[in-house]
Amino acid sequence: MSALSIEPKTAADAKVESYLKRFERRVEAAPPGQCPLTTVASFLETGANQTCGKCVPCRDGLPKLSELMRELANCQANNETLGTMCALAQMIRDASDCAVGYEAAQATLDALDTFSEEVEAHLVGHSCTQGMGQSVPCETLCPAHVNVPGYIALVGEGRYADAIKLIRKDNPFPTACALVCEHPCEKRCRRILIDAPLNIRGIKKMAVDQVAADSVATPERLPDSGKRIAVVGGGPSGLTCAYYAALMGHSVTVFEANHSLGGMMRYGIPAYRFPRERLDEDIRAILSVGNIEVKCDTRIDAVAMAKINDEFDAVYVAIGAQLGKTLKLENGDAEGVVSAVDLLQKIGDGDYPDFSGKKVVVVGGGNVAMDCARTSVRAGASEVTVAYRRRQSDMTALVEEVEAAVVEGVEMAVLEAPARVEVDESGHCSALITQPQMIGAVKRGRPAPVAAKKPERRIEADVILIAVGQDIDVDPFVDFGMHAERGSFIANGQLESPDLPGVYVGGDCQSGPATVIKAIGAGKVAARNIDEYLGYHHTLSCDVALPEPKQNDRMPKGRVEIAERPARERKNDFLGVEYGMSLEEAEQECGRCLRCDCFGAGCQVDGRFQYV
Amino acid sequence: MSNVCANSSLIADEQAISLVVDGVSVSVPKGATILDAAEKAGAHVPTLCFLKERSAISSCRICMVEVEGEDAPVPACSTVAKEGMVITTASERLVAYRKLAMDLILSDHGLDSTNYCFSCKKNGACELQAVAREVGVQHPSFGGAEKRKPVFDSNPFISFDPNLCIRCQRCVGACNNAAGNHSLHTAKRGLRTSIEAPFGPNWKTSGCESCGNCVQACPTGALTMKRREEYREWEVERVLTTCPHCATGCQYNLIVKNGKIVDTEAVDGPSNHGLLCVKGRSGSFDFVHSEERLTTPLIRNSETGQLEPATWDEALDLVAAKMGSLRDEFGGHALAAFACARSANEDIYMLQKMARTVFKTNNIDNCARVCHGPSVAGLAQTLGSGAMTNPITDIARNADVIMLVGSNPEEAHPVIGMQIRHAVETGTKLIVVDPRNIGLSAKADIHLKLHPGTNVAFANGVARVLIHEGLIDEAFIAERSEGFEDFKAMVEKYTPEYVAEICGIDACDLVAAAKLYGEAGAAAIVYCLGVTEHTSGTEGVMALSNLAMITGNFGKPGTGVNPIRGQNNVQGACDMGATPGDFPGYQKLANAEVMKRFEDHWGVEIPKWRGTYATECFPKMISGDIKGLFIFGEDPVRTDPDTSHVVKALEALDFLVVDDLFLTETAKFADVVLPGRSYAEKEGTFSNTERRVQRIRTAVTIPGTRLDTDIFIDLMNRMGYAQPQLTSAQIMDEIAELTPSFHGISHERLDSEEVAGRGLQWPCLDKDHPGTPIMHVGAFTRGLGIYSLADYIPSAELPDEEFPLMLTTGRILYHYNATAMTDKTPGLNEICGHSFIEVNSVDAERLGISDGGRVRVESRRGSIESVARVSDKTNPGETWMPFHFQDGNANWLTDAALDRICSTPEYKVCAVRVSAL
Repeated sequence: MSALSIEPKTAADAKVESYLKRFERRVEAAPPGQCPLTTVASFLETGANQTCGKCVPCRDGLPKLSELMRELANCQANNETLGTMCALAQMIRDASDCAVGYEAAQATLDALDTFSEEVEAHLVGHSCTQGMGQSVPCETLCPAHVNVPGYIALVGEGRYADAIKLIRKDNPFPTACALVCEHPCEKRCRRILIDAPLNIRGIKKMAVDQVAADSVATPERLPDSGKRIAVVGGGPSGLTCAYYAALMGHSVTVFEANHSLGGMMRYGIPAYRFPRERLDEDIRAILSVGNIEVKCDTRIDAVAMAKINDEFDAVYVAIGAQLGKTLKLENGDAEGVVSAVDLLQKIGDGDYPDFSGKKVVVVGGGNVAMDCARTSVRAGASEVTVAYRRRQSDMTALVEEVEAAVVEGVEMAVLEAPARVEVDESGHCSALITQPQMIGAVKRGRPAPVAAKKPERRIEADVILIAVGQDIDVDPFVDFGMHAERGSFIANGQLESPDLPGVYVGGDCQSGPATVIKAIGAGKVAARNIDEYLGYHHTLSCDVALPEPKQNDRMPKGRVEIAERPARERKNDFLGVEYGMSLEEAEQECGRCLRCDCFGAGCQVDGRFQYV
Repeated sequence: MSNVCANSSLIADEQAISLVVDGVSVSVPKGATILDAAEKAGAHVPTLCFLKERSAISSCRICMVEVEGEDAPVPACSTVAKEGMVITTASERLVAYRKLAMDLILSDHGLDSTNYCFSCKKNGACELQAVAREVGVQHPSFGGAEKRKPVFDSNPFISFDPNLCIRCQRCVGACNNAAGNHSLHTAKRGLRTSIEAPFGPNWKTSGCESCGNCVQACPTGALTMKRREEYREWEVERVLTTCPHCATGCQYNLIVKNGKIVDTEAVDGPSNHGLLCVKGRSGSFDFVHSEERLTTPLIRNSETGQLEPATWDEALDLVAAKMGSLRDEFGGHALAAFACARSANEDIYMLQKMARTVFKTNNIDNCARVCHGPSVAGLAQTLGSGAMTNPITDIARNADVIMLVGSNPEEAHPVIGMQIRHAVETGTKLIVVDPRNIGLSAKADIHLKLHPGTNVAFANGVARVLIHEGLIDEAFIAERSEGFEDFKAMVEKYTPEYVAEICGIDACDLVAAAKLYGEAGAAAIVYCLGVTEHTSGTEGVMALSNLAMITGNFGKPGTGVNPIRGQNNVQGACDMGATPGDFPGYQKLANAEVMKRFEDHWGVEIPKWRGTYATECFPKMISGDIKGLFIFGEDPVRTDPDTSHVVKALEALDFLVVDDLFLTETAKFADVVLPGRSYAEKEGTFSNTERRVQRIRTAVTIPGTRLDTDIFIDLMNRMGYAQPQLTSAQIMDEIAELTPSFHGISHERLDSEEVAGRGLQWPCLDKDHPGTPIMHVGAFTRGLGIYSLADYIPSAELPDEEFPLMLTTGRILYHYNATAMTDKTPGLNEICGHSFIEVNSVDAERLGISDGGRVRVESRRGSIESVARVSDKTNPGETWMPFHFQDGNANWLTDAALDRICSTPEYKVCAVRVSAL
């Protein structure tokens, strides 16, 4: 036979890899506001181009389906077209030989279902659904719609105070978000098209590291309105609401059940991630606006809430999700079994545990579980194990949190579902018994674990921390008259509590446990809507002149990541783990910004998504 | 393929899988598809891209069926049936899906891609039309691209119109899987998948063999024979017959329109499985209707010396009178007859009967004398029967190792070549023993490129390795053979080093080849004229027989010693007794019982003396011992060695009669020329190389010609023997009655449903005998097998100072022997129509010969001009020429040195010198 060769089958196969990465990046950078039907049309065209050309359904069918989809996206289709599309897609799905064909068809059928509203709009109204249209990706995806390109440009010019001012226009927690934000702004950063998203959080950290937030004056408060607003909950959402309401001239009283302000930023997030003195910088700045009365150690029950509702012109309820979920396990109430929330709560008030020489098992796979595990390490535990019933890649915790825990010595016991708690003669827990799992079929979008045919595993445990989620203490407020469903308060998009004029509710207690920036976004919405509710249309000025945009730097570059203290050092204390960017790093990183506020969609009418 | 050989039919009978199709329970063999099961259950599943044994890539999805318990339907053509399956072949969903799939295909094809269907060559025979109608699609509902791509039609026979292509890839399967030619492919694979067919301007360099199997596979008018436009489906009738070129015995239909053959169409025959080669498909009917056909007898005017038209009576009277007077004056010894190996068994039987009854001579022979005479003689001696032991399909499908010796089937037996290519591509090991780089040597595991004429040394060397390596079957040797110890002693001196020296090969390769052959579970030796056409031809055949004997490779599937016979019915010519010492069925003249049976049946006395071999007749003509010769369909002037010698012999005759289709070079010397009929104009049978007797049938009639059997019957009657008028079928009945190995064969049985177009392989001992696919099962025809003890003896004429190069002759794909038939097809001549000589590049450089340059080639016997093809196909010092072309016929050079045992000439070795012109 003919001689063999080490060359690839086609030279193109070897060359296409980097192009495919580029293609992936383009998909990843899909701009928010793009009509999903055009995305489906692109998907189908890509699918059609992937046919090997063997089978009729795929080779001849997908291009036809793609054409019809394009017609639909172009608002040129009618119900008959849709019928043909469905029939054709079903045939392609069932008659294709391989996944290239059948998956493309199935995806189309699923998309027609998922996007049925959009399909209807195209068929009947010959238009996209309302609001469709591109806007600046980072700003749009930030729940607080912070002017990201603007403050990046300012940091790039070393104007850190102005950057903080610009951030504060939409978010009074520049420091908190510089340290712990999950940065949804980076998700669709247009820079992904070229190399990778900007390190936006890192850039913000540069600003607050260079100039402390509380050293940058807040804007002048508007003249007193004489209206009184109550904020129940002194966490990120409540304080944001208080900040903007106070700036608008209203008189604000904040009711906080804990000893200090900050909510989960103080009583949930460990200090090594968010040093308390940094949190205090943001809080001091907020309170510096004036006309904000703070009442700590004041837990609000139904009676108190009714009273507040009577006394104040408007109320914002933002009590967070402060109750730890429990697991119904045999001996789940044994001594040594502790709720993660309770542990972190105590730490928030400076009551650090001593786990010296103890074996700690953390149950759960979310960020709180990682916080507990890393805290346990710092509290001197001899062994820390995270027991999780799915795979490490299925953990809901941020990847960097999981990785940090691992390098700090935490053992990930994955595919281990807690079965029961083993107790010693004194009734103290001695081990967590787990049932090994194997990963199985995808259910509701995630691969679900099923019990494996393996014997139970015994993980020795002096302490078992349950970090399987948080609940909201809705009962007193429901008794007062607010509405809750599946443990969360009900509100409309304007955060109005049904049937209770003047009562607004938002943050974790309304959305369910989420992120700091979402809570901030909700607080700002509440403040503005309360202002409107009270009959005002206050606007807040910012007065920061933005630098002129530079031409895009098109040269692909790496993304500057934030360095951390060495694991073997940091795991012994509760000091912050992150370093900051250097000046040259920050300049380079800011220089990668494509200024989407000035180029492309951002400079046209309706191209921004922000509050004035 | 059931029933092609003993073991595969056994497998096919294994009813292993039970399933239900449309409520009908059926059992199918393991590995059968759902489509097979549906067919068995009587459920019709429409198919389009599926073509049995060619392509089952399930691309069209028309044959989708539902399997209970499966969400999505599956293609019936490519899904293997599993135990307990419950299949539904028609449902609302399936009907909708089939329609939609067909709609897409039709939308892609368009309805006016060649100015509407009715202008398409395949209109009426288009499978797309048929299946679209069947699934209920009459109009495409999706917009198709306007296609007007250029048509590829540079090949003389085939054109490809991409506008009509539906990309089903049946042609790709036909070319790559079945024909193993690999010259037609898919290109631009993906959305724009298209067929890259080698029929454009570069067709000559594509490696395409123009076999047209792709055309036959095409469901639309995309791939067509150019001649297809001459007829419409409803204007023609089909006549099932057997190909008249090589001895593969391919089955096909002649397509006849208004009394003229306009095309051919392969049929799924037992040896060709629906395949044809370029000669069969395109070179087998132009000659029938050639302007050059003889349509009246010719008699030489003694005054003018010219051949002039005459009536049949005049011609037959003259032949009867002249042959009769020579017989009467000089006795039967002075007459001879050469039978035609291209003609029917019935013709040949009657010719030898004529020779023996009225010429009173046993000087009857056929052209096996110049090809496989040594096979007949050699294998008859060692095994008791001189024919291919195993069927073609059995070898191609069941052998673990094929040892191909002196055989180039890709050129000389192309449809066998295709099957060997396919076998090798699917795992069969191949050893090629050939002095040239033939096509298959590039696919071979080992190629022993030995010097021509050294086969006996090679085979003895292999035998010694097998014995020394313990690769012999001692039980088989003990039970089935005699004389092994003498043989073992004889081969002892053939050490690998000694043999390597003689053959010019590497000793390690010899040992490796021997081990590969000896270690195989089933190993078949396939050989051809590279073994037989030597002074040591019979010894070479027997030396190969030795190898199979000591390894027990006889009497079972995938084994044996298999001479691939040359001409379509050269096997039959030998079988029918057109040889000096045998009656039909190799019954010996010398056997008194046999002689009595024939004399009793024929009612005359038959000469008892053994006749003269054809090759030995020529010296006897020159010496005057033979004075009258009747040549039936042979052209020895072109095909026999040493043409000058042949011409001299013919000129010396008192009277020469030639019965032929054309005024051949030989006929030009005749006193009387009789216009006979071709295979397309008569009923009869051919016996292919695997002893399979298959039918030929009358498709057309050429006015002025006569049935050859009628000519012989008339002459017999005119010369005093009362031969009744018999039809071809009646003649076969007489053959069957007189010949034990043909007792069970008749036209009636061959045409019956029982035989189902698969022919019958002799020995077929009675009317219920199924024929004998594999010979020597359990015992050899002669009882115990014996060994040849022949030593290697060098060829008669070796290169020397005066004639320093060795010349070997052979055949090429595009022509057959003297080209009497093939040169009437212009396309074949366009592909290759001129003499050439292959010269090794080392010799060419030394002699100042350039590739494509004209050269003079000389031997002791003659001198010709030809064109040099310079390459490394031959060894240095060796040259090769085809003997087809009259513009430089190699037989002016070849040596009439004859095989020591059966007088076959040594075409494969003579000494020549080549010089640039």
